Amino acid sequence: MNRFHLDATDIARIAVFAAIVAALGLPGGFSVFGTVPITAQTLGVMLAGAVLGPWRGALSMVVLLALVALGLPLLSGGRGGLGAFVGPSAGYLFGWIAGAAVIGAIVHAGPRLTRWRTVLGILVGGIPVIYAVGIPVQALVTRLPLEATALQSLVFLPGDLVKVALAAAITITLARAYPRAFRTAPSASTPAPATAAEATGERARHPVP
Amino acid sequence: MLSLYQPGHGLLHRMPAGSKALALAVAVLALSFLPSSWWAAGVAAAVAPLGYAVAGLGVGVLFRQVYALRWLLAVTLGVQLLFVAPEAATANTSRVLATILLASLLVLTTRIADLLDAVERLLAPTARWGLDPQRASLLLSITITTVPVLARLGSGVREAQRARGAPANLARFVIPFLVVSLKHADELGEALTARGLR
Repeated sequence: MNRFHLDATDIARIAVFAAIVAALGLPGGFSVFGTVPITAQTLGVMLAGAVLGPWRGALSMVVLLALVALGLPLLSGGRGGLGAFVGPSAGYLFGWIAGAAVIGAIVHAGPRLTRWRTVLGILVGGIPVIYAVGIPVQALVTRLPLEATALQSLVFLPGDLVKVALAAAITITLARAYPRAFRTAPSASTPAPATAAEATGERARHPVP
Repeated sequence: MLSLYQPGHGLLHRMPAGSKALALAVAVLALSFLPSSWWAAGVAAAVAPLGYAVAGLGVGVLFRQVYALRWLLAVTLGVQLLFVAPEAATANTSRVLATILLASLLVLTTRIADLLDAVERLLAPTARWGLDPQRASLLLSITITTVPVLARLGSGVREAQRARGAPANLARFVIPFLVVSLKHADELGEALTARGLR
Protein backbone atom coordinates (compact mmCIF):
# COMPACT_ATOMS: atom_id res chain seq x y z
CA MET A 1 0.00 0.00 0.00
CA ASN A 2 1.40 3.34 -1.07
CA ARG A 3 1.86 5.27 2.15
CA PHE A 4 1.32 8.51 0.29
CA HIS A 5 -2.09 7.46 -0.89
CA LEU A 6 -4.84 9.64 0.50
CA ASP A 7 -8.28 8.11 0.88
CA ALA A 8 -11.48 10.13 1.21
CA THR A 9 -11.24 10.28 5.01
CA ASP A 10 -7.66 11.56 4.84
CA ILE A 11 -8.61 14.23 2.32
CA ALA A 12 -11.55 15.35 4.46
CA ARG A 13 -9.45 15.53 7.66
CA ILE A 14 -6.52 17.29 6.04
CA ALA A 15 -8.90 19.84 4.49
CA VAL A 16 -10.75 20.33 7.76
CA PHE A 17 -7.56 20.86 9.79
CA ALA A 18 -6.25 23.37 7.27
CA ALA A 19 -9.62 25.11 7.60
CA ILE A 20 -9.48 24.92 11.42
CA VAL A 21 -6.18 26.81 11.44
CA ALA A 22 -7.71 29.37 9.07
CA ALA A 23 -10.84 29.68 11.22
CA LEU A 24 -8.73 30.21 14.37
CA GLY A 25 -7.24 33.27 12.66
CA LEU A 26 -10.66 34.73 11.96
CA PRO A 27 -11.46 36.54 15.23
CA GLY A 28 -8.94 39.06 13.98
CA GLY A 29 -6.02 37.71 15.96
CA PHE A 30 -5.87 38.14 19.68
CA SER A 31 -3.21 40.80 19.49
CA VAL A 32 -1.21 42.27 16.67
CA PHE A 33 1.73 43.63 18.55
CA GLY A 34 4.94 42.73 16.82
CA THR A 35 6.17 41.95 13.35
CA VAL A 36 4.63 38.52 13.76
CA PRO A 37 1.04 38.79 14.98
CA ILE A 38 0.14 36.73 18.04
CA THR A 39 -2.80 34.54 17.15
CA ALA A 40 -4.60 31.36 18.00
CA GLN A 41 -3.43 29.97 14.67
CA THR A 42 -0.28 28.34 16.07
CA LEU A 43 -2.59 26.52 18.48
CA GLY A 44 -4.25 25.02 15.42
CA VAL A 45 -0.85 24.06 13.99
CA MET A 46 0.00 22.18 17.19
CA LEU A 47 -3.37 20.42 17.17
CA ALA A 48 -3.03 19.43 13.50
CA GLY A 49 0.25 17.62 14.22
CA ALA A 50 -0.99 16.06 17.45
CA VAL A 51 -4.27 14.79 15.98
CA LEU A 52 -3.43 13.94 12.38
CA GLY A 53 0.08 12.57 12.95
CA PRO A 54 3.29 13.59 11.24
CA TRP A 55 2.75 13.50 7.54
CA ARG A 56 -0.99 14.19 7.36
CA GLY A 57 -0.49 17.03 9.85
CA ALA A 58 2.33 18.49 7.80
CA LEU A 59 0.31 18.05 4.62
CA SER A 60 -2.62 19.99 6.08
CA MET A 61 -0.22 22.88 6.72
CA VAL A 62 1.11 22.60 3.15
CA VAL A 63 -2.49 22.81 1.91
CA LEU A 64 -3.20 25.86 4.07
CA LEU A 65 -0.04 27.64 2.94
CA ALA A 66 -0.69 26.72 -0.69
CA LEU A 67 -4.10 28.39 -0.44
CA VAL A 68 -2.54 31.41 1.24
CA ALA A 69 -0.05 31.60 -1.63
CA LEU A 70 -2.94 31.35 -4.09
CA GLY A 71 -4.34 34.46 -2.46
CA LEU A 72 -6.93 33.37 0.07
CA PRO A 73 -6.84 35.69 3.11
CA LEU A 74 -6.49 32.80 5.56
CA LEU A 75 -3.76 34.09 7.83
CA SER A 76 -4.75 36.02 10.96
CA GLY A 77 -5.96 39.51 10.28
CA GLY A 78 -7.02 38.51 6.78
CA ARG A 79 -3.49 38.34 5.41
CA GLY A 80 -2.84 36.25 2.34
CA GLY A 81 -1.16 36.07 -0.99
CA LEU A 82 2.46 35.51 -1.91
CA GLY A 83 3.28 38.66 0.05
CA ALA A 84 3.07 36.65 3.25
CA PHE A 85 5.95 34.49 1.98
CA VAL A 86 8.38 37.32 1.39
CA GLY A 87 7.66 39.20 4.62
CA PRO A 88 9.47 38.86 7.96
CA SER A 89 7.13 36.14 9.23
CA ALA A 90 7.61 33.88 6.17
CA GLY A 91 9.95 31.52 8.03
CA TYR A 92 7.43 30.96 10.78
CA LEU A 93 4.90 29.87 8.17
CA PHE A 94 7.32 27.28 6.79
CA GLY A 95 8.07 26.39 10.39
CA TRP A 96 4.42 25.36 10.76
CA ILE A 97 5.00 22.48 8.32
CA ALA A 98 8.09 21.24 10.17
CA GLY A 99 6.44 21.88 13.53
CA ALA A 100 3.32 19.86 12.70
CA ALA A 101 5.52 17.03 11.38
CA VAL A 102 7.70 16.89 14.51
CA ILE A 103 4.69 17.15 16.84
CA GLY A 104 2.94 14.34 14.98
CA ALA A 105 6.05 12.16 14.97
CA ILE A 106 6.56 12.47 18.73
CA VAL A 107 2.90 12.36 19.83
CA HIS A 108 2.16 9.39 17.57
CA ALA A 109 5.45 7.57 18.30
CA GLY A 110 3.88 4.88 20.44
CA PRO A 111 0.84 2.68 20.01
CA ARG A 112 -1.22 4.90 22.32
CA LEU A 113 -1.50 8.53 23.28
CA THR A 114 0.28 9.28 26.52
CA ARG A 115 0.19 12.48 28.50
CA TRP A 116 3.94 13.07 28.69
CA ARG A 117 4.60 12.34 25.04
CA THR A 118 1.78 14.70 24.04
CA VAL A 119 3.27 17.52 26.11
CA LEU A 120 6.82 16.78 24.92
CA GLY A 121 5.85 16.59 21.25
CA ILE A 122 3.84 19.80 21.27
CA LEU A 123 6.53 21.62 23.25
CA VAL A 124 9.40 20.55 20.97
CA GLY A 125 7.56 20.87 17.67
CA GLY A 126 5.56 23.93 18.69
CA ILE A 127 8.38 26.21 19.85
CA PRO A 128 12.03 25.28 19.03
CA VAL A 129 11.24 23.78 15.62
CA ILE A 130 9.06 26.69 14.45
CA TYR A 131 11.48 29.28 15.85
CA ALA A 132 14.46 27.50 14.28
CA VAL A 133 12.94 28.07 10.85
CA GLY A 134 11.33 31.43 11.60
CA ILE A 135 14.17 33.38 13.22
CA PRO A 136 16.87 32.90 10.51
CA VAL A 137 14.41 33.82 7.75
CA GLN A 138 13.28 36.90 9.67
CA ALA A 139 16.92 37.91 10.17
CA LEU A 140 17.56 37.38 6.46
CA VAL A 141 14.53 39.41 5.34
CA THR A 142 15.05 42.33 7.73
CA ARG A 143 18.89 42.08 7.58
CA LEU A 144 19.15 42.30 11.35
CA PRO A 145 21.79 40.24 13.18
CA LEU A 146 20.54 36.79 14.19
CA GLU A 147 20.96 37.58 17.90
CA ALA A 148 18.85 40.74 17.68
CA THR A 149 16.12 38.87 15.83
CA ALA A 150 16.19 36.04 18.36
CA LEU A 151 15.93 38.59 21.16
CA GLN A 152 12.95 40.19 19.46
CA SER A 153 11.20 36.85 19.06
CA LEU A 154 11.44 36.22 22.83
CA VAL A 155 8.39 38.51 23.09
CA PHE A 156 6.30 35.65 21.74
CA LEU A 157 7.70 32.96 24.03
CA PRO A 158 5.26 33.45 26.96
CA GLY A 159 2.24 33.36 24.63
CA ASP A 160 3.60 30.30 22.85
CA LEU A 161 4.19 28.48 26.15
CA VAL A 162 0.56 29.14 27.08
CA LYS A 163 -0.50 27.77 23.69
CA VAL A 164 1.62 24.62 24.20
CA ALA A 165 -0.06 23.95 27.54
CA LEU A 166 -3.47 24.63 26.02
CA ALA A 167 -2.84 22.43 22.97
CA ALA A 168 -1.66 19.52 25.14
CA ALA A 169 -4.71 19.80 27.40
CA ILE A 170 -7.03 20.05 24.39
CA THR A 171 -5.42 17.03 22.68
CA ILE A 172 -5.82 14.87 25.80
CA THR A 173 -9.43 16.00 26.27
CA LEU A 174 -10.19 15.46 22.58
CA ALA A 175 -8.87 11.90 22.78
CA ARG A 176 -11.71 11.28 25.27
CA ALA A 177 -14.37 13.44 23.65
CA TYR A 178 -13.85 12.23 20.07
CA PRO A 179 -11.44 9.27 19.92
CA ARG A 180 -12.26 8.59 16.29
CA ALA A 181 -10.23 11.65 15.38
CA PHE A 182 -6.99 9.89 16.32
CA ARG A 183 -7.42 6.86 14.11
CA THR A 184 -4.66 7.04 11.56
CA ALA A 185 -6.28 4.45 9.32
CA PRO A 186 -9.98 4.41 10.00
CA SER A 187 -11.83 1.70 8.12
CA ALA A 188 -15.43 2.15 7.16
CA SER A 189 -16.32 -1.10 8.88
CA THR A 190 -15.53 0.10 12.41
CA PRO A 191 -18.42 2.26 13.57
CA ALA A 192 -16.54 3.55 16.64
CA PRO A 193 -17.37 0.94 19.26
CA ALA A 194 -17.47 2.40 22.75
CA THR A 195 -14.76 0.17 24.17
CA ALA A 196 -12.95 0.67 27.42
CA ALA A 197 -9.84 1.53 25.41
CA GLU A 198 -11.59 4.45 23.79
CA ALA A 199 -13.03 5.66 27.06
CA THR A 200 -9.48 6.01 28.37
CA GLY A 201 -8.41 7.83 25.24
CA GLU A 202 -6.43 5.07 23.63
CA ARG A 203 -5.63 5.73 20.03
CA ALA A 204 -6.50 2.57 18.17
CA ARG A 205 -4.07 2.08 15.32
CA HIS A 206 -5.63 -1.20 14.39
CA PRO A 207 -9.37 -1.78 14.60
CA VAL A 208 -10.24 -2.74 18.17
CA PRO A 209 -11.31 -6.39 18.28
CA MET B 1 -16.23 33.39 -2.05
CA LEU B 2 -13.44 34.79 0.04
CA SER B 3 -10.72 36.21 -2.15
CA LEU B 4 -8.42 39.17 -2.50
CA TYR B 5 -9.03 39.38 -6.25
CA GLN B 6 -9.67 42.86 -7.65
CA PRO B 7 -11.47 42.79 -11.01
CA GLY B 8 -9.83 44.79 -13.77
CA HIS B 9 -8.56 44.84 -17.35
CA GLY B 10 -4.95 45.93 -16.87
CA LEU B 11 -1.85 44.34 -18.32
CA LEU B 12 -1.40 41.96 -15.39
CA HIS B 13 -5.07 40.89 -15.47
CA ARG B 14 -4.63 39.76 -19.05
CA MET B 15 -1.39 37.81 -18.48
CA PRO B 16 -1.66 34.04 -17.95
CA ALA B 17 -1.32 33.05 -14.29
CA GLY B 18 1.86 30.99 -14.67
CA SER B 19 4.01 33.54 -16.51
CA LYS B 20 2.69 36.33 -14.28
CA ALA B 21 3.74 34.40 -11.16
CA LEU B 22 7.17 33.84 -12.68
CA ALA B 23 7.59 37.51 -13.65
CA LEU B 24 6.57 38.73 -10.19
CA ALA B 25 8.84 36.17 -8.52
CA VAL B 26 11.79 37.47 -10.54
CA ALA B 27 10.92 41.07 -9.61
CA VAL B 28 10.66 40.17 -5.91
CA LEU B 29 13.95 38.30 -6.04
CA ALA B 30 15.66 41.26 -7.73
CA LEU B 31 14.29 43.61 -5.05
CA SER B 32 15.60 41.40 -2.25
CA PHE B 33 19.15 41.90 -3.55
CA LEU B 34 18.98 45.69 -3.18
CA PRO B 35 21.68 47.01 -0.83
CA SER B 36 20.80 48.77 2.43
CA SER B 37 21.41 52.32 1.23
CA TRP B 38 19.44 55.54 0.65
CA TRP B 39 19.14 55.17 -3.14
CA ALA B 40 17.96 51.57 -2.72
CA ALA B 41 15.29 52.81 -0.30
CA GLY B 42 14.13 55.23 -3.00
CA VAL B 43 14.06 52.51 -5.66
CA ALA B 44 12.08 50.21 -3.37
CA ALA B 45 9.62 52.98 -2.52
CA ALA B 46 9.04 53.70 -6.22
CA VAL B 47 8.63 50.09 -7.36
CA ALA B 48 5.31 49.32 -5.66
CA PRO B 49 3.35 52.37 -6.95
CA LEU B 50 4.80 51.66 -10.40
CA GLY B 51 3.70 48.02 -10.26
CA TYR B 52 0.19 48.94 -9.13
CA ALA B 53 -0.04 51.56 -11.89
CA VAL B 54 1.00 48.97 -14.51
CA ALA B 55 -1.65 46.61 -13.11
CA GLY B 56 -4.24 49.36 -13.46
CA LEU B 57 -5.12 49.15 -9.77
CA GLY B 58 -6.13 52.39 -8.10
CA VAL B 59 -4.37 54.31 -5.35
CA GLY B 60 -7.11 53.07 -3.00
CA VAL B 61 -6.07 49.44 -3.46
CA LEU B 62 -2.41 50.29 -2.83
CA PHE B 63 -3.33 52.32 0.24
CA ARG B 64 -5.43 49.48 1.69
CA GLN B 65 -2.50 47.07 1.22
CA VAL B 66 -0.11 49.43 2.99
CA TYR B 67 -2.63 50.11 5.75
CA ALA B 68 -3.00 46.35 6.38
CA LEU B 69 0.78 46.23 6.90
CA ARG B 70 0.96 49.24 9.25
CA TRP B 71 1.93 47.26 12.38
CA LEU B 72 4.49 45.21 10.54
CA LEU B 73 6.02 48.42 9.21
CA ALA B 74 6.01 50.19 12.55
CA VAL B 75 7.67 47.30 14.37
CA THR B 76 10.17 46.49 11.61
CA LEU B 77 11.27 50.12 11.46
CA GLY B 78 11.31 50.48 15.25
CA VAL B 79 13.44 47.40 15.87
CA GLN B 80 15.75 48.26 12.97
CA LEU B 81 16.37 51.75 14.37
CA LEU B 82 17.36 50.14 17.67
CA PHE B 83 20.01 47.94 16.10
CA VAL B 84 21.25 49.55 12.85
CA ALA B 85 21.90 53.00 11.38
CA PRO B 86 18.94 55.07 10.06
CA GLU B 87 20.08 54.58 6.45
CA ALA B 88 20.01 50.77 6.65
CA ALA B 89 16.84 50.81 8.76
CA THR B 90 14.95 52.91 6.20
CA ALA B 91 16.24 50.87 3.26
CA ASN B 92 15.45 47.51 4.91
CA THR B 93 11.93 48.54 5.90
CA SER B 94 11.26 50.04 2.50
CA ARG B 95 12.54 46.88 0.79
CA VAL B 96 10.39 44.57 2.96
CA LEU B 97 7.30 46.67 2.21
CA ALA B 98 8.01 46.77 -1.53
CA THR B 99 8.52 42.99 -1.83
CA ILE B 100 5.26 42.27 0.04
CA LEU B 101 3.31 44.79 -2.06
CA LEU B 102 4.74 43.45 -5.30
CA ALA B 103 4.11 39.80 -4.39
CA SER B 104 0.51 40.71 -3.52
CA LEU B 105 -0.05 41.80 -7.12
CA LEU B 106 -0.38 38.16 -8.21
CA VAL B 107 -3.48 37.47 -6.14
CA LEU B 108 -4.91 40.94 -6.65
CA THR B 109 -4.97 40.40 -10.41
CA THR B 110 -5.67 36.66 -10.79
CA ARG B 111 -8.80 34.63 -10.07
CA ILE B 112 -8.36 31.71 -7.62
CA ALA B 113 -9.83 29.31 -10.20
CA ASP B 114 -7.13 30.33 -12.71
CA LEU B 115 -4.42 29.88 -10.09
CA LEU B 116 -5.77 26.43 -9.14
CA ASP B 117 -5.67 25.43 -12.82
CA ALA B 118 -2.09 26.69 -13.05
CA VAL B 119 -1.14 24.65 -9.96
CA GLU B 120 -2.70 21.50 -11.43
CA ARG B 121 -0.76 22.03 -14.67
CA LEU B 122 2.41 22.68 -12.68
CA LEU B 123 1.95 19.45 -10.72
CA ALA B 124 1.12 17.36 -13.78
CA PRO B 125 4.69 16.03 -14.26
CA THR B 126 4.74 14.77 -10.64
CA ALA B 127 2.29 12.01 -11.64
CA ARG B 128 5.42 10.09 -12.65
CA TRP B 129 6.53 9.87 -8.99
CA GLY B 130 3.18 8.55 -7.79
CA LEU B 131 1.67 11.89 -6.87
CA ASP B 132 -1.86 12.56 -8.01
CA PRO B 133 -2.24 16.15 -9.28
CA GLN B 134 -6.01 15.86 -9.56
CA ARG B 135 -6.25 14.65 -5.97
CA ALA B 136 -4.04 17.55 -4.85
CA SER B 137 -6.27 19.98 -6.73
CA LEU B 138 -9.37 18.35 -5.19
CA LEU B 139 -7.82 18.68 -1.72
CA LEU B 140 -7.25 22.41 -2.30
CA SER B 141 -10.77 22.99 -3.62
CA ILE B 142 -12.35 21.08 -0.73
CA THR B 143 -10.38 23.16 1.76
CA ILE B 144 -11.56 26.37 0.10
CA THR B 145 -15.18 25.33 0.52
CA THR B 146 -14.58 24.06 4.07
CA VAL B 147 -13.25 27.34 5.48
CA PRO B 148 -16.61 29.19 5.40
CA VAL B 149 -18.37 26.09 6.79
CA LEU B 150 -16.03 25.97 9.78
CA ALA B 151 -16.29 29.72 10.30
CA ARG B 152 -20.07 29.23 10.55
CA LEU B 153 -19.71 26.23 12.90
CA GLY B 154 -17.31 28.29 15.03
CA SER B 155 -19.68 31.23 15.38
CA GLY B 156 -22.44 28.74 16.21
CA VAL B 157 -20.36 27.35 19.08
CA ARG B 158 -19.56 30.86 20.31
CA GLU B 159 -23.20 31.95 20.18
CA ALA B 160 -24.32 28.86 22.08
CA GLN B 161 -21.76 29.60 24.77
CA ARG B 162 -22.75 33.25 24.95
CA ALA B 163 -26.39 32.27 25.28
CA ARG B 164 -25.44 30.17 28.31
CA GLY B 165 -23.54 33.10 29.77
CA ALA B 166 -20.10 31.46 29.45
CA PRO B 167 -17.22 33.96 29.30
CA ALA B 168 -15.23 34.21 26.07
CA ASN B 169 -12.36 31.82 26.56
CA LEU B 170 -10.11 30.29 23.94
CA ALA B 171 -9.71 26.91 25.69
CA ARG B 172 -13.44 26.60 26.30
CA PHE B 173 -14.15 27.46 22.67
CA VAL B 174 -11.61 25.21 20.97
CA ILE B 175 -12.72 21.79 22.26
CA PRO B 176 -16.38 21.95 21.15
CA PHE B 177 -15.24 23.67 17.95
CA LEU B 178 -12.80 20.81 17.23
CA VAL B 179 -15.44 18.18 17.93
CA VAL B 180 -18.01 19.72 15.54
CA SER B 181 -15.26 20.30 12.95
CA LEU B 182 -14.05 16.70 13.12
CA LYS B 183 -17.63 15.44 12.91
CA HIS B 184 -17.92 17.55 9.78
CA ALA B 185 -14.70 15.95 8.49
CA ASP B 186 -16.14 12.47 8.97
CA GLU B 187 -19.35 13.41 7.16
CA LEU B 188 -17.30 14.97 4.38
CA GLY B 189 -15.20 11.80 4.10
CA GLU B 190 -18.33 9.67 3.88
CA ALA B 191 -19.80 11.98 1.24
CA LEU B 192 -16.59 11.74 -0.81
CA THR B 193 -16.56 7.94 -0.49
CA ALA B 194 -20.21 7.83 -1.54
CA ARG B 195 -19.25 9.76 -4.68
CA GLY B 196 -16.68 7.15 -5.60
CA LEU B 197 -13.44 8.58 -4.19
CA ARG B 198 -11.28 5.95 -2.55
